Amino acid sequence: MANGPLRGVRVLDLTHVWAGPLATRALADFGARVVKIEAPTGRGPRDCRGGAPIGGWLGGAPAIEPWNANAAFVKLQRNKRSVALDLKTAAGRAVFLELAAVSDVLVENFSARAMPNLGLGYEDVARVNPRLVYVSMSGFGKSGPYRDRVAFGPTVEPMSGLASVMGYGPGEPRNTAMAIMDPIAAVNAAAAVVDALRRRENTGRGVHVELSLHESGVAFCGPWLVDAQIGGRHAPAGNRHPRLAPHGVYPCAGDDEWVAIACRDDADWRALCQLVDGLDGNADRAARMADHDDIDRRLAAWARPLRKSQAAERLRAAGVPAGSVNATPDMTADPQVRARGFFVPLEPGPTPVPGHPVKMAGSDSADWTPCPRLGADNRAVLKEWLDYDDERVDALETAGVLVNKPPR
Amino acid sequence: MDRVLEIGGYAAGYCGRLFAQCGHSVLRVNDPTPPAWVGDAAMAMFLDAGKTPVDARADALAELAGSVDVVVIEAEGADAVTALDFDHWRAPVKVAITPFGRTGPKKNCPATPHTLLAMGGYTYLTGDARRAPLSLPGHYVEFQSGGFAFTAANACRLSGEHKTIDISMLEVVMALSQFTTVAWHCAGVIRSRHGNDFWSVAPANMFRCADGWVYVNITPTFWDAFAIFLNQPELTVDERFVTNAARMRNRDALHGIIARALAPETRTAIAERAETCRIPLGAALSFADVLADPHLASRDMWQRVDGSGGQARSPRPPWRVHGEPWPTFA
Repeated sequence: MANGPLRGVRVLDLTHVWAGPLATRALADFGARVVKIEAPTGRGPRDCRGGAPIGGWLGGAPAIEPWNANAAFVKLQRNKRSVALDLKTAAGRAVFLELAAVSDVLVENFSARAMPNLGLGYEDVARVNPRLVYVSMSGFGKSGPYRDRVAFGPTVEPMSGLASVMGYGPGEPRNTAMAIMDPIAAVNAAAAVVDALRRRENTGRGVHVELSLHESGVAFCGPWLVDAQIGGRHAPAGNRHPRLAPHGVYPCAGDDEWVAIACRDDADWRALCQLVDGLDGNADRAARMADHDDIDRRLAAWARPLRKSQAAERLRAAGVPAGSVNATPDMTADPQVRARGFFVPLEPGPTPVPGHPVKMAGSDSADWTPCPRLGADNRAVLKEWLDYDDERVDALETAGVLVNKPPR
Repeated sequence: MDRVLEIGGYAAGYCGRLFAQCGHSVLRVNDPTPPAWVGDAAMAMFLDAGKTPVDARADALAELAGSVDVVVIEAEGADAVTALDFDHWRAPVKVAITPFGRTGPKKNCPATPHTLLAMGGYTYLTGDARRAPLSLPGHYVEFQSGGFAFTAANACRLSGEHKTIDISMLEVVMALSQFTTVAWHCAGVIRSRHGNDFWSVAPANMFRCADGWVYVNITPTFWDAFAIFLNQPELTVDERFVTNAARMRNRDALHGIIARALAPETRTAIAERAETCRIPLGAALSFADVLADPHLASRDMWQRVDGSGGQARSPRPPWRVHGEPWPTFA
């Protein structure tokens, strides 16, 4: 368990897919005591009939408990504990409400109606714990004409306006490949939790916090949305930047190898001119914007014989912002992130997983715990948080309310 | 309510924005020599509403920092932070945001969000195969870094701990890297670019319609409903499309069917039918469309802000605390 500033905060995590688990992972990395409340089938079936998961199996094979070996799932669950509880049963819901009564935060990212339909909506849970911070993350929020629409990050993304500036040019809009509404919403959700906890310090009352993938995307597009009202015009422009030149990616030696270059100002430009032949060191930003096509040709010719890392290093050494366009192996091998121990070999394999981008004294990855097995903490959490005895836990297990493997 | 001192660029500015929106008092230090690329009126209106601008020379920052609860500074490198004697400032919580963090061999290397997105693995995945990769426009790197800074600072204020916090913008990008790194380590798969397709699901792509584009993302659960949405239920028994694997193999044929079905309809009509059929679909909107979106209006998404560009509507923060209104700034 991480040893961070949120270590006294108890979080019930009812999230799935990406945005929600990423939010609660951030809270866990900050030290919060996060208990993942999982459906018996929440990690998939007992066998491998669904095929290999999107991020592969931990260690490269499904092993004897495939539901615990989904790498993309596991990567999001470090520093959490697992209670596998069937909320479709009355007994399961009763246990859940007892846990909620002694928790500080609940985070869920089901569709807008799911939690109320289980009898676990905000009003239901606030009745047992008026101090609870209850965070709902849905696609479009709990009100408004789109509230019942089905949402995934990639379908919400173009609704934010992002596709109107993302692409190779007008008529060629592109979505990002990473479903970026999800990580944007995740970071917002973690921020919302600490904001709500601080409000609670002042009022003594819990609150219902609501955010949506959609509104997270719209807030991300805020500067463009304001600009559109004060005369700005926008269209996809490839890798060009509205205020910087040059700004692009340039082919290097090898197949699909590229270097990204950006000049922030005249000083960067003059430094670039020291490396690349045929550029006019006296050209100001307006001249560079006007001459961008020719500059791009010269930069491409300069970079073409070089390895991408070589090009980037030469540019950075000269003072020009540059970076290799990294494929995955390059990311994890980067000397900077290795020096800072960013990738943590936490899971079996060993599988290095991306770490926490916030460093502060007293909390580092040495304290971290890997993703727990499904239901691994059923007994411990119910004993520690609710003072249950073994007999009571046994009865719940016998009744199938608590499980530690998916049903057959 | 905290007093927050904000120094530097858009990441610190976004962190300060969140503090200001949440009712804290934010002092924003004006940069006496801003970089040439700063000066966007819209960005200032978005970021700076509700903040108090202050002029302070570098040698006065320490004294100012001693009067606040939280300092958030963004700088171009580690040494630029250290040179300000930041580590001796007396604010209880101090956050430094730099491109690579305050340690490591690249701690002072020049960078922009564009180069960090490239190094962080995002750019390689975005765009079309056999064309140049695409950098994500906008301010993802800065805003996500600002969000982490806000969370870290508030977590420390909650616990009452005095902390100096180091945030690497490159690590922010990498921390949010979906399943990219585990797919490499566990399955030996290097993710690559696939245009608007999603690499493991079909159909997932953008399609032209009568007045623009719509994006569909049909994971296997939604396939039958999608066939009905297309008014072509026979697709569910067509051997070319019966499984996701088959749909992936016959992606071009499937895309042709979808393109022909959607071409005559408007975005609004398509989105309404998608809602009825319970399938995930979103219309590609312009910023003007977003500003006119009835759903956002009904959810009170906009706040008025003033600035050198005039008055405009700006998005409020993306979370709402029921029963507590956001502050107003205009």
